[in-house]
Amino acid sequence: MNLIHKLEPLFWMLFGGGGFAASFFLPGLLIGVCLLAPLGVFESGLAYDRAYGLASSGTGRVFLIAVISLTLWHCAHHLRHLGLDLGLGTTVPALASYGLALVGTVATFTLVLAL
Amino acid sequence: MSSPARTRTLPARAPDGWIFRYSHYRNYILFAATSVFMAIACVVLLFGVRALAGGEQAWNDYLAALGSPAMLLLNSVVLLFTLYFALRFGWVGRKIPAGGKIGPIPLAPPVPMALLGLVPIGGFVTLWIVVLLVLGGAIL
Repeated sequence: MNLIHKLEPLFWMLFGGGGFAASFFLPGLLIGVCLLAPLGVFESGLAYDRAYGLASSGTGRVFLIAVISLTLWHCAHHLRHLGLDLGLGTTVPALASYGLALVGTVATFTLVLAL
Repeated sequence: MSSPARTRTLPARAPDGWIFRYSHYRNYILFAATSVFMAIACVVLLFGVRALAGGEQAWNDYLAALGSPAMLLLNSVVLLFTLYFALRFGWVGRKIPAGGKIGPIPLAPPVPMALLGLVPIGGFVTLWIVVLLVLGGAIL
Protein backbone atom coordinates (compact mmCIF):
# COMPACT_ATOMS: atom_id res chain seq x y z
CA MET A 1 0.00 0.00 0.00
CA ASN A 2 2.77 2.31 1.05
CA LEU A 3 4.61 1.48 -2.15
CA ILE A 4 1.61 2.53 -4.24
CA HIS A 5 1.64 5.91 -2.50
CA LYS A 6 5.40 6.28 -2.89
CA LEU A 7 5.16 5.54 -6.60
CA GLU A 8 2.28 7.99 -7.10
CA PRO A 9 4.48 10.59 -8.92
CA LEU A 10 5.59 7.89 -11.37
CA PHE A 11 2.01 6.75 -11.97
CA TRP A 12 0.94 10.35 -12.42
CA MET A 13 3.68 11.03 -14.98
CA LEU A 14 2.69 7.92 -16.94
CA PHE A 15 -0.93 9.08 -16.66
CA GLY A 16 -0.08 12.53 -18.00
CA GLY A 17 2.13 11.19 -20.77
CA GLY A 18 -0.55 8.70 -21.74
CA GLY A 19 -3.17 11.45 -21.92
CA PHE A 20 -0.99 13.35 -24.37
CA ALA A 21 -0.03 10.27 -26.39
CA ALA A 22 -3.69 9.21 -26.67
CA SER A 23 -4.89 12.70 -27.58
CA PHE A 24 -2.13 13.21 -30.14
CA PHE A 25 -2.24 9.89 -31.96
CA LEU A 26 -5.00 7.47 -30.92
CA PRO A 27 -7.90 8.97 -32.92
CA GLY A 28 -5.79 8.99 -36.10
CA LEU A 29 -4.72 5.38 -35.57
CA LEU A 30 -8.27 4.26 -34.81
CA ILE A 31 -9.78 5.99 -37.83
CA GLY A 32 -7.01 4.75 -40.13
CA VAL A 33 -6.34 1.21 -38.96
CA CYS A 34 -9.63 0.17 -37.37
CA LEU A 35 -12.21 1.89 -39.59
CA LEU A 36 -10.85 3.07 -42.96
CA ALA A 37 -8.45 0.16 -43.65
CA PRO A 38 -11.09 -2.59 -43.11
CA LEU A 39 -13.43 -0.65 -45.39
CA GLY A 40 -10.79 -0.79 -48.13
CA VAL A 41 -10.02 2.93 -48.20
CA PHE A 42 -6.31 2.49 -47.40
CA GLU A 43 -5.79 -0.45 -49.72
CA SER A 44 -2.30 0.62 -50.81
CA GLY A 45 -1.36 2.66 -47.75
CA LEU A 46 -1.89 -0.23 -45.36
CA ALA A 47 -1.07 -3.11 -47.71
CA TYR A 48 0.99 -5.67 -45.79
CA ASP A 49 4.45 -4.69 -47.01
CA ARG A 50 3.95 -0.99 -46.34
CA ALA A 51 2.21 -1.51 -42.99
CA TYR A 52 4.99 -3.87 -41.90
CA GLY A 53 7.63 -1.40 -43.06
CA LEU A 54 6.04 1.45 -41.11
CA ALA A 55 5.56 -0.55 -37.93
CA SER A 56 8.92 -2.31 -37.91
CA SER A 57 11.04 0.79 -38.59
CA GLY A 58 12.86 2.25 -35.59
CA THR A 59 10.52 5.23 -35.42
CA GLY A 60 7.51 3.00 -35.90
CA ARG A 61 8.51 0.72 -33.03
CA VAL A 62 9.15 3.61 -30.64
CA PHE A 63 5.85 5.17 -31.74
CA LEU A 64 3.81 2.01 -31.19
CA ILE A 65 5.40 1.21 -27.83
CA ALA A 66 4.97 4.78 -26.60
CA VAL A 67 1.39 5.26 -27.74
CA ILE A 68 0.05 1.87 -26.67
CA SER A 69 1.84 1.41 -23.35
CA LEU A 70 1.47 5.02 -22.18
CA THR A 71 -2.23 4.97 -23.06
CA LEU A 72 -2.62 1.78 -21.03
CA TRP A 73 -0.97 3.42 -17.99
CA HIS A 74 -3.18 6.45 -18.46
CA CYS A 75 -6.29 4.26 -18.48
CA ALA A 76 -5.08 2.33 -15.44
CA HIS A 77 -4.53 5.44 -13.34
CA HIS A 78 -7.84 6.95 -14.39
CA LEU A 79 -9.76 3.75 -13.62
CA ARG A 80 -7.97 3.36 -10.31
CA HIS A 81 -9.30 6.75 -9.25
CA LEU A 82 -12.74 5.96 -10.64
CA GLY A 83 -12.68 2.86 -8.42
CA LEU A 84 -11.78 5.05 -5.47
CA ASP A 85 -14.68 7.41 -6.26
CA LEU A 86 -17.07 4.50 -6.60
CA GLY A 87 -16.11 3.33 -3.11
CA LEU A 88 -14.05 0.29 -4.12
CA GLY A 89 -11.21 1.33 -1.83
CA THR A 90 -7.59 2.04 -2.60
CA THR A 91 -5.73 -1.23 -2.80
CA VAL A 92 -7.85 -3.46 -5.04
CA PRO A 93 -8.40 -0.96 -7.90
CA ALA A 94 -4.74 0.06 -7.77
CA LEU A 95 -3.39 -3.47 -7.90
CA ALA A 96 -5.88 -4.54 -10.57
CA SER A 97 -5.44 -1.55 -12.86
CA TYR A 98 -1.68 -1.13 -12.55
CA GLY A 99 -1.28 -4.90 -12.83
CA LEU A 100 -3.19 -4.94 -16.09
CA ALA A 101 -1.20 -1.97 -17.39
CA LEU A 102 2.03 -3.80 -16.54
CA VAL A 103 0.85 -6.92 -18.37
CA GLY A 104 -0.15 -4.74 -21.33
CA THR A 105 3.21 -3.00 -21.35
CA VAL A 106 5.11 -6.31 -21.34
CA ALA A 107 2.83 -7.53 -24.15
CA THR A 108 3.42 -4.33 -26.13
CA PHE A 109 7.21 -4.58 -25.85
CA THR A 110 7.15 -8.29 -26.70
CA LEU A 111 4.91 -7.93 -29.74
CA VAL A 112 6.50 -4.77 -31.15
CA LEU A 113 10.06 -6.03 -30.69
CA ALA A 114 9.08 -9.33 -32.38
CA LEU A 115 8.27 -7.45 -35.61
CA MET B 1 7.67 16.27 23.30
CA SER B 2 4.76 14.56 21.65
CA SER B 3 3.81 15.08 18.02
CA PRO B 4 0.60 17.04 17.43
CA ALA B 5 -2.53 14.91 17.41
CA ARG B 6 -3.98 14.12 14.03
CA THR B 7 -6.97 16.22 13.13
CA ARG B 8 -10.00 14.00 13.25
CA THR B 9 -12.11 14.15 10.13
CA LEU B 10 -15.27 12.47 9.02
CA PRO B 11 -14.79 9.76 6.41
CA ALA B 12 -15.47 10.87 2.85
CA ARG B 13 -19.01 10.29 1.67
CA ALA B 14 -20.62 10.48 -1.74
CA PRO B 15 -22.52 13.71 -2.39
CA ASP B 16 -26.30 13.58 -2.78
CA GLY B 17 -27.36 12.52 -6.24
CA TRP B 18 -24.01 10.94 -7.05
CA ILE B 19 -23.58 9.53 -9.79
CA PHE B 20 -26.22 10.55 -12.26
CA ARG B 21 -28.26 13.41 -10.82
CA TYR B 22 -26.18 16.30 -12.10
CA SER B 23 -24.56 16.83 -15.47
CA HIS B 24 -21.11 17.44 -13.98
CA TYR B 25 -21.25 14.13 -12.08
CA ARG B 26 -22.40 12.38 -15.25
CA ASN B 27 -19.70 13.97 -17.38
CA TYR B 28 -17.06 13.11 -14.78
CA ILE B 29 -18.06 9.44 -14.92
CA LEU B 30 -18.30 9.58 -18.71
CA PHE B 31 -14.78 11.04 -18.85
CA ALA B 32 -13.46 8.25 -16.62
CA ALA B 33 -15.29 5.67 -18.74
CA THR B 34 -13.29 6.79 -21.78
CA SER B 35 -10.39 4.87 -20.21
CA VAL B 36 -12.19 1.54 -20.64
CA PHE B 37 -12.65 2.21 -24.34
CA MET B 38 -9.14 3.55 -24.92
CA ALA B 39 -7.78 0.39 -23.28
CA ILE B 40 -9.91 -1.64 -25.73
CA ALA B 41 -8.37 0.42 -28.55
CA CYS B 42 -4.89 -0.55 -27.33
CA VAL B 43 -5.82 -4.25 -27.28
CA VAL B 44 -7.27 -4.05 -30.80
CA LEU B 45 -4.08 -2.34 -32.03
CA LEU B 46 -1.90 -4.94 -30.27
CA PHE B 47 -3.73 -7.68 -32.18
CA GLY B 48 -2.78 -5.74 -35.31
CA VAL B 49 0.90 -5.73 -34.31
CA ARG B 50 0.70 -9.47 -33.73
CA ALA B 51 -0.93 -9.92 -37.14
CA LEU B 52 1.86 -7.92 -38.80
CA ALA B 53 4.43 -10.23 -37.22
CA GLY B 54 2.41 -13.23 -38.43
CA GLY B 55 2.78 -12.41 -42.12
CA GLU B 56 0.65 -11.14 -44.98
CA GLN B 57 -2.18 -13.64 -44.54
CA ALA B 58 -2.50 -12.88 -40.83
CA TRP B 59 -2.61 -9.13 -41.56
CA ASN B 60 -5.30 -9.54 -44.20
CA ASP B 61 -7.29 -11.76 -41.83
CA TYR B 62 -6.96 -9.07 -39.15
CA LEU B 63 -8.29 -6.37 -41.48
CA ALA B 64 -11.11 -8.69 -42.58
CA ALA B 65 -12.03 -9.32 -38.94
CA LEU B 66 -12.07 -5.58 -38.28
CA GLY B 67 -14.40 -5.23 -41.26
CA SER B 68 -17.15 -7.31 -39.66
CA PRO B 69 -20.20 -5.25 -38.63
CA ALA B 70 -19.69 -6.07 -34.94
CA MET B 71 -16.06 -4.87 -34.94
CA LEU B 72 -16.89 -1.77 -36.99
CA LEU B 73 -19.59 -0.93 -34.43
CA LEU B 74 -17.26 -1.58 -31.48
CA ASN B 75 -14.47 0.48 -33.00
CA SER B 76 -16.87 3.31 -33.83
CA VAL B 77 -17.95 3.44 -30.17
CA VAL B 78 -14.30 3.24 -29.10
CA LEU B 79 -13.50 6.12 -31.45
CA LEU B 80 -16.36 8.26 -30.07
CA PHE B 81 -15.16 7.81 -26.50
CA THR B 82 -11.55 8.50 -27.56
CA LEU B 83 -12.65 11.68 -29.34
CA TYR B 84 -14.60 12.75 -26.24
CA PHE B 85 -11.48 12.22 -24.14
CA ALA B 86 -9.18 14.09 -26.52
CA LEU B 87 -11.53 17.02 -27.07
CA ARG B 88 -12.21 17.42 -23.36
CA PHE B 89 -8.49 17.09 -22.58
CA GLY B 90 -7.75 19.77 -25.18
CA TRP B 91 -10.54 21.96 -23.84
CA VAL B 92 -8.90 21.99 -20.40
CA GLY B 93 -5.70 22.98 -22.16
CA ARG B 94 -7.18 26.31 -23.25
CA LYS B 95 -6.27 27.61 -19.81
CA ILE B 96 -2.55 27.23 -20.56
CA PRO B 97 -2.37 30.01 -23.18
CA ALA B 98 -4.81 32.05 -21.07
CA GLY B 99 -3.16 31.91 -17.66
CA GLY B 100 0.19 30.20 -18.21
CA LYS B 101 -0.98 27.25 -16.13
CA ILE B 102 -3.96 25.08 -15.33
CA GLY B 103 -6.03 26.72 -12.61
CA PRO B 104 -7.71 30.02 -11.84
CA ILE B 105 -6.95 32.69 -14.42
CA PRO B 106 -5.75 35.96 -12.81
CA LEU B 107 -6.80 38.28 -15.64
CA ALA B 108 -9.36 37.92 -18.39
CA PRO B 109 -7.41 36.94 -21.53
CA PRO B 110 -7.54 39.35 -24.49
CA VAL B 111 -9.25 36.70 -26.65
CA PRO B 112 -12.38 34.71 -25.72
CA MET B 113 -11.66 31.48 -23.86
CA ALA B 114 -13.64 29.45 -26.40
CA LEU B 115 -11.27 30.64 -29.11
CA LEU B 116 -8.26 29.62 -27.01
CA GLY B 117 -9.80 26.15 -26.75
CA LEU B 118 -9.31 25.84 -30.48
CA VAL B 119 -5.51 26.05 -30.06
CA PRO B 120 -4.89 22.67 -28.37
CA ILE B 121 -7.81 21.02 -30.15
CA GLY B 122 -6.58 22.35 -33.49
CA GLY B 123 -3.16 20.92 -32.71
CA PHE B 124 -4.66 17.52 -31.94
CA VAL B 125 -6.73 17.49 -35.13
CA THR B 126 -3.64 18.43 -37.16
CA LEU B 127 -1.76 15.45 -35.72
CA TRP B 128 -4.69 13.11 -36.45
CA ILE B 129 -4.62 14.28 -40.08
CA VAL B 130 -0.85 13.73 -40.24
CA VAL B 131 -1.28 10.17 -38.89
CA LEU B 132 -4.00 9.51 -41.47
CA LEU B 133 -1.83 10.88 -44.30
CA VAL B 134 1.02 8.57 -43.21
CA LEU B 135 -1.28 5.54 -42.92
CA GLY B 136 -2.94 6.35 -46.22
CA GLY B 137 0.40 6.53 -48.01
CA ALA B 138 0.40 10.25 -48.85
CA ILE B 139 3.42 10.91 -46.58
CA LEU B 140 6.53 8.68 -46.13
